[in-house]
Amino acid sequence: MKNVFIDLEKCIGCRHCEVACAIEHSSGKELFSMYFEVPRPQPRISVKLGVDLMTFPNKCQHCDPAPCMEVCPVNAIFRDVKTDTVQVQEERCISCGMCAMVCPYGAIQYQVRPNLPNEVAYKCDSCISRLENGKEPACVEACVTNALVFGEYNEIIAEKQRGISLNLTREIQGYKEEEMPENIKAFRALQRKVAQLGPLPSSQNKINVNEKN
Amino acid sequence: MDKSLIKLKVEERTIDESAKPLLERTLEEGIETAWDRLEKQQPQCGFGQLGLCCNRCSMGPCRIDPFEKDGPKRGVCGADADLIVARNLLDDLVTGAAAHSDHGREVVETLLMTAEGKSQGYEILDKEKLYTVAKEIGITTEGRNDTDIAKDIALSFLEEYGTIKNSIDLSKRAPEPTQDKWAKAGILPRSVDREIVEAMHRIHMGVGADYANILLHGLRASLSDGWGGSMMATEVSDILFGTPEIKESWVNLGTLKEDMVNIVLHGHNPVLSEMVVKAVKEQEMVDLAKQKGAKGINLVGMCCTGNELLMRRGIPIAGNLLNQELALATGAVDVMIIDYQCIFPSITQVASCFHTKIVSTSEKSKVPGAVHMEFHPETAYDTAKNIVKLAIETYEQRNPDRVKIPAKPVKMMAGFSVEAIKKALGGTFQPLIDAIANGSIKGAVGMVGCNNPKIKQDYGHVTLGKELIKRNILVVETGCAAIASGKAGLLLPEAADLAGDGLKSVCHALGIPPVLHMGSCVDCSRILVLAAELAKALNVGIDQLPLAGAAPEWYSQKAVSIASYFVASGVYTVLGLPPKIFGSKNVIDLLTSGLNDVVGATYAVEPDPVAAADLIEKHIDSKRKDLGI
Repeated sequence: MKNVFIDLEKCIGCRHCEVACAIEHSSGKELFSMYFEVPRPQPRISVKLGVDLMTFPNKCQHCDPAPCMEVCPVNAIFRDVKTDTVQVQEERCISCGMCAMVCPYGAIQYQVRPNLPNEVAYKCDSCISRLENGKEPACVEACVTNALVFGEYNEIIAEKQRGISLNLTREIQGYKEEEMPENIKAFRALQRKVAQLGPLPSSQNKINVNEKN
Repeated sequence: MDKSLIKLKVEERTIDESAKPLLERTLEEGIETAWDRLEKQQPQCGFGQLGLCCNRCSMGPCRIDPFEKDGPKRGVCGADADLIVARNLLDDLVTGAAAHSDHGREVVETLLMTAEGKSQGYEILDKEKLYTVAKEIGITTEGRNDTDIAKDIALSFLEEYGTIKNSIDLSKRAPEPTQDKWAKAGILPRSVDREIVEAMHRIHMGVGADYANILLHGLRASLSDGWGGSMMATEVSDILFGTPEIKESWVNLGTLKEDMVNIVLHGHNPVLSEMVVKAVKEQEMVDLAKQKGAKGINLVGMCCTGNELLMRRGIPIAGNLLNQELALATGAVDVMIIDYQCIFPSITQVASCFHTKIVSTSEKSKVPGAVHMEFHPETAYDTAKNIVKLAIETYEQRNPDRVKIPAKPVKMMAGFSVEAIKKALGGTFQPLIDAIANGSIKGAVGMVGCNNPKIKQDYGHVTLGKELIKRNILVVETGCAAIASGKAGLLLPEAADLAGDGLKSVCHALGIPPVLHMGSCVDCSRILVLAAELAKALNVGIDQLPLAGAAPEWYSQKAVSIASYFVASGVYTVLGLPPKIFGSKNVIDLLTSGLNDVVGATYAVEPDPVAAADLIEKHIDSKRKDLGI
């Protein structure tokens, strides 16, 4: 299973992934020309705010079995065997909305495409043409902090497990834990406080909303 | 939008009761405000917030991986996180210093034109200040007429912006131990413009790579603002328009009147607004307004030009930064006159939902959708009268059904210039010094700065203010902070009941509030002068006094400059929002501890106002201990 792994702690909300995605899915594949394309290419990854000003880059995770694929009444969604990714055949799409309704990530939206009369389902295609050329997806390449990593899930997870083992044993042995830089920890703590003092989402506001409902 | 969601949003956005019904209106009617735009901007880029994005040259933009793992650790030019953060901070700081100082320059130029008989409507109102300043900077007064003295002051002050003198006269007001610290650190300010230009030079690629050296220059540039550009703005405004005296007035959006022509003066510089104050008093204008069916002309201020008018003329003030769009949303503003700084570029959009006209007046500050009536000292009074006429004509187009003025104004006291405070104390600072020495007043805090929609409007200011006075710490304020306290009723002598016993008794004895309004944001220079007076009386440096600064809701680059000249002058300063420095541990360490060895003060960051009060109290206690009081 090869896919994009998201390290939530490292996402700092810069939205480079969104821009890189839109460029990759433009016809000129270039930032400046993209702005003159009609319709303007839209990103297929979306960085949204969670609580305490934390962010999450959300995209299609290419599930298997994929709920969207199973419910599509016109078989417009299929699995590309070579890349093991879920793809949309746009010409077939009848804009019924079923795939978006069942998607556990809310990763499917609709947009106007050149030469098609209806708004069709669009979602992350895992940059299939890049994959075919041995490259990683554009969002991963653009991510400066490595919050997005592309690879075999088991390998990425194994690496994470090694990190956890190291940290745990370091702690037991009285070594300094390898962790987030101090300044970033301080910044996150301040962000959390700021979120509690204003209209931006914070855990506290979230609780209030729930109570209200 | 669902009604309960609107209520929730309103409660999250402000504590200003006069703002709430109008915020509700903007949400119901889809009138976009700063809070909505903040929401739409989420998430905001972490590189920018950490100061790790360098967008200066075309090898970039570059950004540094804050997690110090595999990502880039240097920009294309080789700059590391420390350097990029320091360059960005210096850039912000001198942008703020430039804003204050360029404002100051315009006031000084107006004094020169007045001395030369070229301006229209101005006169030298405060002769005492004229002579005091002249004497201080070595200009002979004996046997000379006022205009000659004024001309010499103006020319001498304009030279503070140049590079011939190579020192800033008013910085000599600082106590000697403080000046000695500056000399030792190599940060004696040389000239207002020079420090700013040099800063822009220093942040060019390949000029400086030592973050500490860059930040030290930031301190020097900030001193040229606080003891230079801003202080000249204050002093010369006093010469032209009078030094503020204690007076009463009104505050909040309820100062707008249903049955009158409403003119809002928004921005910073008093040179224009003072002329408008004169113009609305002309019988011709009052008659014209009545002829159009209004009961008269109601002039109110907004932000710091409002503070200038409040301090000197007792003109009511409608609100601070985040109230500007809400004032327009009353549908009762006929004309909003703007000069510059802190004016949301979107105000014409809000105004377009009503009959309101925005009148821009500065060549530097044009806004699409505004009527531009350019202001020059030579024709100032004519322009002011024309704008007032336009307001009266616009009043006729007001739709009474769209008018919503939801609150009654709150009474307030203002006008606490250093001179007014001294007078209130009986002509000497000794009673204040005694009160500090015997502990009835523990110390004093200069609370300044803006609103920032990231923090519930006024919550930071009001909560911190209440916490401090409760702990017998006197609060002096300028800018949006002072307006926030005014709206919350803290600028009234009765508010002393919220103070600790010691401060309460002092306030009651003198009949003053526990929070003193000292003016606009350039008037933070008054806070410096007050600190210098206290230090000189005790024969110590400013850094030895039980003082602190605070900017709980700051947003602007000007606030970066103010915080920096507070710190550089020896005043420990607590910021409510993190500045864009958290990408560099070295910069944080220097600013929050290393600077102690250089200027005797540091910055701190604490969003929670109660925790900020704890930090401040601890600092003040330690200074008291060192002084042996």
